Amino acid sequence: MAGIWIFAEKKELVLELLTPGGELAARQGGKLTIVVPEAEGDPADYFAAGADEVVLLSPLAEDVTLGAWLPVLAGEIRAADPEAVLLAATSRGKEIAARLAARLETGLASNCLSLAADADGTLVMERLAYGGAALQRVAVMGRPVMATIPPRTFPPAAAAAIPGREGSVRTLPPPPADTVRVVARKEKERSAQDITAAKTVVCVGRGLEKREDLELARQLAAALGGEIGCTRPISEELHWLPDNLCIGLSGVQVKPELYLGLGVSGQIQHLTGLRGARLICAVNRDPNAPIFLAADLGIIGDLYEVTPKLIEEVKKIRG
Amino acid sequence: MPKVVACFKWVVDEAYIRKGGGGALDFSAVDYKLSEYDRNALEEATRCRGEGGTVTALTAGSPEAAKGLKDALSRGADTAVFASDPAFAALDSSQTAAVLAEVIRNRIPYDLIICGEGSGDQYAQQVGPRLAENLGIPCISYVQKLTVAAEGGRITAERRVEEGVEVVEASFPVLVTVLPEINIPRIPGVKDTLMAGKKPVVTVKNEELPPLGAAKLKTLAMTAARLERNCELFGTAPEDIARFVTALQQKGVSG
Repeated sequence: MAGIWIFAEKKELVLELLTPGGELAARQGGKLTIVVPEAEGDPADYFAAGADEVVLLSPLAEDVTLGAWLPVLAGEIRAADPEAVLLAATSRGKEIAARLAARLETGLASNCLSLAADADGTLVMERLAYGGAALQRVAVMGRPVMATIPPRTFPPAAAAAIPGREGSVRTLPPPPADTVRVVARKEKERSAQDITAAKTVVCVGRGLEKREDLELARQLAAALGGEIGCTRPISEELHWLPDNLCIGLSGVQVKPELYLGLGVSGQIQHLTGLRGARLICAVNRDPNAPIFLAADLGIIGDLYEVTPKLIEEVKKIRG
Repeated sequence: MPKVVACFKWVVDEAYIRKGGGGALDFSAVDYKLSEYDRNALEEATRCRGEGGTVTALTAGSPEAAKGLKDALSRGADTAVFASDPAFAALDSSQTAAVLAEVIRNRIPYDLIICGEGSGDQYAQQVGPRLAENLGIPCISYVQKLTVAAEGGRITAERRVEEGVEVVEASFPVLVTVLPEINIPRIPGVKDTLMAGKKPVVTVKNEELPPLGAAKLKTLAMTAARLERNCELFGTAPEDIARFVTALQQKGVSG
């Protein structure tokens, strides 16, 4: 039996996965099933965006993890026998995907940037390897084909593409608690800004000497009408900025119109997080910094000398 | 105190990968390293060991990965177990997890298994969760803080999720995958390296294990990721700054 299954913990992620999922389902003429927590909106929105079947997960008790659904999901997928299962590559999604793949004894392509059927119908996925230095094309040897796809890889499927479209809805009863118990949930210190949506990102790296100097980057970002981000050492070793502002392979991926790196050397793991940027600019005093190879415009100079001048010039031009 | 297993992978150091002609990758001059993420796993294992616990460093790979054993042992592990076979040179995640599970099941008593969040080469982020499934034990992934209960027998872990942090508890045996920020891995000194050479290593061959299943993920091609752009370079003189900002404007993205 053909069919495509989609699982994500949030509505916007389901809508994104419906974009490639819809194409695959249309190509094979199979049913498109989505699995989502019940709290994530009206099934009609998913039907309008192309889903044929919506499977709702009943709310879980406070101390139960999303992973408790694993045996239920494995059973549902085994019974439906879809050709492919797409999951959002969130922390929970990636863990559930890998554990599901183990239970279903199939292959999983992680963190896919693209997925498409080739001439003979085999699904081929592209992903990064070697810290972002390599583009790896993979195929799954098993059924279902499983893939995780990072948030914002695909645009959301148009929610009103097919008004009035209907489908079937099922609600799964809560699963028994599993052996991992939630004792607390903390909204971590997060920046209110969302750099993944920002049109301009000013990113600070190890070239920044002290925490107070973030102000310089903030002023430039403000002048350009953008937000600030950082490299991994700034958030994870120095803790100068929250980790939802860390750009890179193990952080967030950004696709701004303008990325401007201040004192960013350009490690491959960081560059991987900004490969979707339209214009990449860099200020670094080391002319051999790898970021200049990945940039469109670069200033070789000390960020402490250059940044105030940039702020002034930008203000002058933009009035 | 707990018997801890830390899994690690000996990987190609991506800094040595050259770009060959036509987008090909040139691995002819590569060196290898202990996967960065697994250094955090080894460090956390030694931290969780406490008084009277043990740390076993475990890897599966081709015989060339033997170099990684000394590296892992110099990072504080007590013993190492090496599933070594030419057939283990390029395993996919399902195969690696299967080999590790077989080795652990029959040879290594454990309370806690710690893996890095992913490997430095493939970064599939699957071996930890798959290994937990193969062993039939709970899995807690993407952990940024780990505490073994004072009375033993269970752990509390802070796992990073999209909206913040989920603090969870689980009893032994349990598998945890750790994020880089969980600790700062030690840099082994000369003494650590010397001591590592005296620590016991157990080697397990392919023929001692059940038959290896087929790979479930097939690599069709591996090419250089195109990140290069033609960078126009500027100095710091006032006219350079002005030209730079004008160039930003002209690309139409500064507004």
